[in-house]
Amino acid sequence: MIRYLARRFLTMLVTLLVISLLVFVIIKLPPGDFLTNQLAELIAQGDPEATRKAEFLRQQYGLDRPVWEQYLRWIGVMPGPSGYSGLLQGDWGWSFEYDKPVNQVVGDALWLTLVVNVFVVIFVHVVSIPIAIYSAIRQYSWSDYLATLIGYIGLATPNFLLALILLYYMNRWFGISIGGLYDAQYTNAPWSADKIKSLAQHLIVPTLVIGLSGTAAMIRRMRANLLDELGKQYYVTAKAKGVPPMRALIKYPFRMALNPFVADIGNLLPHLVSGSVLVSLVMSLPTVGPILLAALKSQDQFLAGFILMFVAVLTVIGMLISDLMLAWLDPRIRLGGK
Amino acid sequence: MKRRDVLKGLAALPFLPGASRAFAALGDLQETPFFAERVANGELPPLAERLPKSPLIVDLPARGRLIGKPGGEMTTLIARARDIHYLTANEYARLVGYDEKLQLQADILERFENEDDKVFTFHLRPGHKWSDGHPFTAEDFRYWWEDVAGNEEISPTGLPEFMVSKGKVPRFEVIDEVTVRYTWENPNPRFLPTLAQPRDPFIYRPAHYLKDLHERYGDKEKLEDLAAKAKLKSWASLHNRLDDMFENTNPALPSLQPWRVMNAAPAGRFVFERNPYYHRVDTTGQQLPYVDKVMLDVVSGGLFAAKSNAGEVDILARGLSMADIPVLKQGEAANGYRTLLWRHARGSEVALYPNLTTNNPVWRKLNRDVRYRRALSLAIDRHTLNRALLFGLAKEGNNTVGEASPLFRSEYRTRWATYDPAAASKLLDEVGLSKRGDDRVRLLPDGRPLEIVVEVDGETGLAVDTLELITEFWRDVGVKLFIKPQERTVLRNRAYAGGTVMVATAGFDNALPTALMVPSELAPVRQDNMSWPKWGQYAETHGKSGEAVDMPDGQRLLDLYETWLSTADEAQKTAIWHDMLSLHADQLWSIGTIAGALQPIVVRNGLINLPKEGIYSWEPTSLLGIYRIDEMFWDRQDRRVAEAR
Repeated sequence: MIRYLARRFLTMLVTLLVISLLVFVIIKLPPGDFLTNQLAELIAQGDPEATRKAEFLRQQYGLDRPVWEQYLRWIGVMPGPSGYSGLLQGDWGWSFEYDKPVNQVVGDALWLTLVVNVFVVIFVHVVSIPIAIYSAIRQYSWSDYLATLIGYIGLATPNFLLALILLYYMNRWFGISIGGLYDAQYTNAPWSADKIKSLAQHLIVPTLVIGLSGTAAMIRRMRANLLDELGKQYYVTAKAKGVPPMRALIKYPFRMALNPFVADIGNLLPHLVSGSVLVSLVMSLPTVGPILLAALKSQDQFLAGFILMFVAVLTVIGMLISDLMLAWLDPRIRLGGK
Repeated sequence: MKRRDVLKGLAALPFLPGASRAFAALGDLQETPFFAERVANGELPPLAERLPKSPLIVDLPARGRLIGKPGGEMTTLIARARDIHYLTANEYARLVGYDEKLQLQADILERFENEDDKVFTFHLRPGHKWSDGHPFTAEDFRYWWEDVAGNEEISPTGLPEFMVSKGKVPRFEVIDEVTVRYTWENPNPRFLPTLAQPRDPFIYRPAHYLKDLHERYGDKEKLEDLAAKAKLKSWASLHNRLDDMFENTNPALPSLQPWRVMNAAPAGRFVFERNPYYHRVDTTGQQLPYVDKVMLDVVSGGLFAAKSNAGEVDILARGLSMADIPVLKQGEAANGYRTLLWRHARGSEVALYPNLTTNNPVWRKLNRDVRYRRALSLAIDRHTLNRALLFGLAKEGNNTVGEASPLFRSEYRTRWATYDPAAASKLLDEVGLSKRGDDRVRLLPDGRPLEIVVEVDGETGLAVDTLELITEFWRDVGVKLFIKPQERTVLRNRAYAGGTVMVATAGFDNALPTALMVPSELAPVRQDNMSWPKWGQYAETHGKSGEAVDMPDGQRLLDLYETWLSTADEAQKTAIWHDMLSLHADQLWSIGTIAGALQPIVVRNGLINLPKEGIYSWEPTSLLGIYRIDEMFWDRQDRRVAEAR
């Protein structure tokens, strides 16, 4: 077990290193850099000095160095102007756009993102598992068909469109302000009961919209998994021996049907951060998604790089957790092979 | 015949001729309720001590506006945190600024004297103070001149261009505490218009605040320490970061604007609070601005119209477009706001720029043929464009100045801009494009079909729509148009390198020029002008790269521009502007389409004193700047009471 873990950690590190290289290269791929983008804007606003200032700033930000050098400094294996200071040393880099260290920029957004997405995950599971179980044991009944229909509608609706429609009607019917995660006056206010209430109201639409397609997919998968198990002999035997139907269902086939979900945790963790970019953008949620998109567009390389790396780390950790949990849940799976 | 022409910018248009009335008004100053408590506690001096000895007294009734009542706050939206700098344009407190008639007036300055555009003497308002209460004096000008612009580490690129005339820098003198003078050897007519720009170059800085950050006055080691802590390379970078008068990024930086920023990014809402030392008062002795606070909420740009429709903003212009008008109108009654429709000032909403300096010799020859450019213009049915794209409300014609400009002449708009496909075909035949290939498309001299690739900035939808219609019009005269949307930066770099054949983008930024504004958009002196990127590059780099102007008409533009820069005679400047505009209308260096889209401005009911009709542009109106948003006020008791937030 220990040897297995050690080996896993080693491969995780290598994976992350490769990811960091990929991330950096891809961010640098479009022509120009952060300053060329800023320059265009400054010129449009009639700042006559823009072109002349640019070279100076480029040097200041270290953008005049070769790409490999910028990369090595970013991960912290090459000394920059202030010594070794990169991801390895816990320095997440500097955001050009905000002129602030990256951790200050993403701090608040990161945890609001988690709040939104944790709610989404809870919503998805609470809604979809009961429906799935119900429609599996009543296969081909009218209620099964209804759940299937609704599920497919949920899968097929473009969620940004649904977001806009819901925002409009929530505002008209319930007076909930459009977009954001709370009313504007609470933006800079400290946390209070009113602010939490406002947050709760504003969570309804994002949770529904982000969760709907997930719910639909989950119902379908859970139902299919259960149906596979329901015909198996052990379940029939259990029922024949007189185990109460609900208990028999939960204890045997349901447990088996959970396997793919545990395997899915590896995807779920990064999804908590990156899963709602499009909807966040449409709904103007103060989460990581819009920051990431803006950073990629303006080539704010360290900010974008950090967010992508963070998601990568979550993915790798999620995969490890799901492997370990699978072994625990299903005794047929053994770690370490052979 | 040197006429000594002393222009006196007496303390701004809308007021009274003498100082006597000023003192009378100052007698009954009314304390601003927002500050009353702080004044009572002794935290702030009373209004009489906060104002300059001769404040700018705004005669609102004389300008058809109402005397307001102080209090309240107004909320507006921005799409990203950096956009808070647009408030600096909207606030528009400048040393000298334009009034609604686009005449230059002293604003922060008490008055200024201009002798032949060579000697500029600025008189500050005695007793004027920064937003932190420290006096605003000639020292602040000296600090910028010597220690900011004159410091190699802070300004490695040297003095800004507009301060240099024919390669010579001015002589700067501090005459006394409240008087400074700039003297150039040659006329520098760019100086004052640049100071009135939306993007103020700020030739004064709060010396008392910044000196602590300057190597010359502060402790260098400590500064380097501070810089290192902020992850900056030097004290100069730190100075530059904290000294950003335009961007509003540093809440500690003193300001002279009507509102000053109270919090720094990252934030979802930026709060601007009134400046207790602002220099304008109304005739009843109330200090401006009337509204205590401005709130800027960061909201994704796509929601601007929806949020306005839901009645969640008090005032909003930037970010709304003509396409939003139906949505905005629909919510007016239910949510208690009104939508003002102002006119855009732009030479043309979309104009086509044939590149005279493109690399391909065949296209270069063609683009340089004026008959070809005229033919392309004559083949565009602008009336259909207008009806299809802008509800028929726009003006059809060339890329030129608008009606509201004193330089406007209708022929500038209509010459070669009527719809006449027959004439267009004839001109194209004359150029030597009479052979046709498949699909009746004309053939280039080298046998290829006449297929014009028009590159367009991918972010603007109107341009693509316009081009799609033009494709149809041009097909009728045997010209094939191929639309190629590009990312903005890529497009620019291609144009600078001579890669583009034709570009579609917005027309002149400043379509409301007066003769005293610099005609740089009309002359081949900027590389971002898509008609002649390489000529512009040549001018910008002083001949290091690009190409020299090699066409007589282009050279004529350049000569006219140079003459404009070296004369102080307004009549001559007017004549030059007309020559240049006439040349543009005749030569069609850019092919205009339709101009004057409407800009919706959402204003909550009860928030008044903004004219019903106006002109919206970046330059010269500085967004809403020249209409003075500090004069807006709440005509509703409930909104004047600051809510407990």
